[in-house]
Amino acid sequence: MIMGSKAGPAPILSIEDLQVSLFTRRGVLPAVDGLSLTVSAGETLAIVGESGCGKSLTALAIMRLLPNPPAKIVGGAVRFMGRDLAALSEREMQRVRGKDISMIFQDPMTSLNPVVAVGDQLIEAIRRHNDVSRHEARDRAIELLRQVRIPDAERRFNDYPHQMSGGMSQRVMIAMAIACGPKLLIADEPTTALDVTIQAQIIELMKELQSSSDMGLIIITHDLGVVAEVADRVAVMYAGRKVEEAPVEALFERPLHRYTRGLLGATPSAQRRRGSRLVEITGNVPALSDLPQGCAFQNRCPDVLDRCRAERPQLAPLLPHRSAACFAAEKELSRDAAAIGA
Amino acid sequence: MLTLFFDFARRFARNRAALVGLFLVLVVVGVAIAAPWWFPRNPLRIVGRPEIWPFMSPRYPLGTDSLGRDIAAMIAHGARTTLLIGLCASLTATIIGITVGATAAYVGGWVDELLMRLTELFQTIPNLIFVLTIVSILGQKIEYVTIAVGVVTWTPIARLTRAEFMSLRDREFVQACRAMGMGSLWIMFGEILPNALPPVIVLSSLVVAGAVLFESAVAFLGLGDPNVTSWGQLIGDGRTLIRSSWYICAVPGLAIMLTVLALNLVGDGLNDALNPKLRDR
Amino acid sequence: MRRIIIRRLVQIIPLIFAVIVMNFVLIHLAPGSLFDVMTSEQQITDPKMLDQLRHTYGVDQPVSVQLAKYIWSVMRLDLGYSYRQNAPVFDVIMQQLPATLILMLAAIGIALLVGVTAGVLASIKVNTIWDNLISLGAVFFFAAPSFWLGIMMTVMFAVKLGWFPVGGMRTIGVDESAFGAVLDVMHHLVLPATALGLFYAATFARVMRASMLEVARLDFVRTARAKGLSGGRVVLAHVMRNAMLPIVTLLGLQLGTMLGGSVVIEAVFSWPGIGSLLFDSVMSRNFPMVLGVLVLGSLLVAVCNATVDLLYLRLDPRIKAR
Ligand SMILES: Nc1ncnc2c1ncn2[C@@H]1O[C@H](COP(=O)(O)OP(=O)(O)OP(=O)(O)O)[C@@H](O)[C@H]1O
Ligand code: SF4
Ligand SMILES: [Mg+2]
Repeated sequence: MIMGSKAGPAPILSIEDLQVSLFTRRGVLPAVDGLSLTVSAGETLAIVGESGCGKSLTALAIMRLLPNPPAKIVGGAVRFMGRDLAALSEREMQRVRGKDISMIFQDPMTSLNPVVAVGDQLIEAIRRHNDVSRHEARDRAIELLRQVRIPDAERRFNDYPHQMSGGMSQRVMIAMAIACGPKLLIADEPTTALDVTIQAQIIELMKELQSSSDMGLIIITHDLGVVAEVADRVAVMYAGRKVEEAPVEALFERPLHRYTRGLLGATPSAQRRRGSRLVEITGNVPALSDLPQGCAFQNRCPDVLDRCRAERPQLAPLLPHRSAACFAAEKELSRDAAAIGA
Repeated sequence: MLTLFFDFARRFARNRAALVGLFLVLVVVGVAIAAPWWFPRNPLRIVGRPEIWPFMSPRYPLGTDSLGRDIAAMIAHGARTTLLIGLCASLTATIIGITVGATAAYVGGWVDELLMRLTELFQTIPNLIFVLTIVSILGQKIEYVTIAVGVVTWTPIARLTRAEFMSLRDREFVQACRAMGMGSLWIMFGEILPNALPPVIVLSSLVVAGAVLFESAVAFLGLGDPNVTSWGQLIGDGRTLIRSSWYICAVPGLAIMLTVLALNLVGDGLNDALNPKLRDR
Repeated sequence: MRRIIIRRLVQIIPLIFAVIVMNFVLIHLAPGSLFDVMTSEQQITDPKMLDQLRHTYGVDQPVSVQLAKYIWSVMRLDLGYSYRQNAPVFDVIMQQLPATLILMLAAIGIALLVGVTAGVLASIKVNTIWDNLISLGAVFFFAAPSFWLGIMMTVMFAVKLGWFPVGGMRTIGVDESAFGAVLDVMHHLVLPATALGLFYAATFARVMRASMLEVARLDFVRTARAKGLSGGRVVLAHVMRNAMLPIVTLLGLQLGTMLGGSVVIEAVFSWPGIGSLLFDSVMSRNFPMVLGVLVLGSLLVAVCNATVDLLYLRLDPRIKAR
């Protein structure tokens, strides 16, 4: 299989059966439910799904930065280079954050401290994990600013966040994230808050940085163009669960889960223009507090079966290198197989 | 209207501390009202041996001061002075504050500029020094103390009123009133003010607490009205005896502290009840 | 930067001008004429001196001329002559000013130290017993009259325990080295500064707690944690730094109240500052001195206000852009 070529080496990150619950006044809600993912060195995994399906919580759970209260990891393991992050002490985890795993966020304008010069925020990140003098850190910081293509880096070094545009701020965020050469970078909707032209540049930059460093990348996005352009594999989430995972080509070729189909539009080979957003699907996501028995997508699914209402579909390896949790897809594939077999 | 009141009471009651505050305020008010019946004779009259400690003599439950005056009687009568001055000063401050703030916001332009400079001026003048100056020049009378305290505490009310008016000024209902040809004064005080009032009331209730503190300081320095009993004055009188009978200072001080504390708690409760949207902050 | 400073200082001028005019109005509100106020209360009988005063204040001239003369004399820092101290009002005030400044600075220091620490602690341990205790303490100190606190502290720490002196600024009759003198003043300073500072500490604690909780939810704090910073470093370098901004604003707004508060505290502790001077002048109906303190006190607050504003400018880079 050509598409799976990058999935060869042992994964640097492997999430197993992750459970994140929200402890609210209305009860304990399963915001992320039994999620498993892997990312290998140099690989890019895209996570897509509607707003509120638990993408950000997943990312924050890996970083152990969940907003607590209300969110908490209640089960599963997050294995990074053989260590279970969920079991580390806060102290040990601090040594992982920013050094081994970095993260950048959706809104660059609010993600930087408004009263500290950006250069100092960079230096802080560098000196946290490297035993260097302030002077050395400064040189390194300026070099990083150049690396993320900030013009006039030396002058910009002393700027405050409010003096920078959104695109510039996101570049600074990226510089900060890669400052200590992380093995994994998590980008949570890194371009959503930016202008379209800037979005392209930022994505370009991330791709370039990744290719030169063999860093694993998890990119959370709503933008199918971004998915098509940078992702090796795609995980689709719905209501806190992973409902489908596939190499990017295969997914666009033939989405299996009915929700994925909805996302990509009716035609299997969706347009892959940049900026084409996930298609809006009619109907509402059920609230976490009253998920139905059976498939969470049943109220919006065009192909819903009786079985879908009674039983929850489990993620199954329906085709090589890919899996989906959908009864209709299962049926369809077994029909195909029967047809070939006949 | 009634349901509105119940709604208000329910929200107020949800704040436990505010209920405690309300209870304390009611106690102080009760004592103030009952004082003339409870201690019908002049509280400044000498009744017994000086410096009897509290709880020592059943006739003088809070003891007697350096001259042999009944501290309980003076505390009870002092509550009248304290509450009266606190309320009147707060009322003065509220009237000045609302007038200045409303005019500034409604008229705008150079009037606004001028009134805001005036507000700044009164914020800059060290307020207690100003009160002492007024009292020393005009005379040590309870009216002057009240007005002086009102004059130094109106600035926050003016700022708040102005801000509220600003946000209400361009609302639809005000535009409609203007279109109907209503007079400026009527729109200002008949239409906008009632809507701007809730947060202003909260602030006024807090100003009462501040005014009580001011009054006590003035009386403590011996610049209050010498003809009425006041808690601050009591502390001032007792100061010379702190080596032997510190309770003479302690008792009225506790009274001031509890009153101010109670007023603050009530203010917080009012805030919760009148501005539900601010509550979660 | 220098332009901003100058512009901010220039803004003080109309303010002081207004204070002077208000002074003048106050004098005219007083029962009796300006001249009565300025002289008779001080029992001046020397006819030569009366003549001179009549001339200085232009008593026989119209009000507008009187006002002009008054303003002119204040502008030359001529605030009148105090017969009680037998010295110009301005000189007397200037002599007493340092003591008040020391007291205020110490009180501000204590208020910031105690208030900010308590607020930060309460916010870190939010909704725990610590938080509740701190809130309770804040509520009490917010309600206690500072002069009463001062007296009670005197009873406790000066009279009963003997740790600190009862009042004054220096031990009388002891000739010490410069260092010894500083220590001596500091020893005298502890009680009055604490009594004055605790009220403001209570205010700061409440505001700081709320402000910390607000800032802690912001995105950049998450970024700081994502960098791998320790909890302490995140709080100190990121949360506190932003949460301090409202405290600085508040401090500026409260300087006037603080100077007023120091009057009472100085009276309690016989601290030889302008508060004691004012108290004495009010008691002896020494009006030129009272008015002089009002003008110079306002000027002091205005200058301190400007200083705080400039400090804010340094702390919050966003302001300069506007
Ligand atoms: N701090 C919080 N308090 C309460 N609920 C939360 C909190 N953070 C997230 N949630 C809830 O958890 C669920 C998952 O949220 P999450 O932020 O992971 O969604 P998402 O997939 O990242 O959505 P988006 O695309 O909008 O970023 C949502 O239902 C959201 O309402
Ligand atoms: S499992 Fe059933 S309801 Fe769910 S997506 Fe597949 S077909 Fe639709
Ligand atoms: Mg998200």
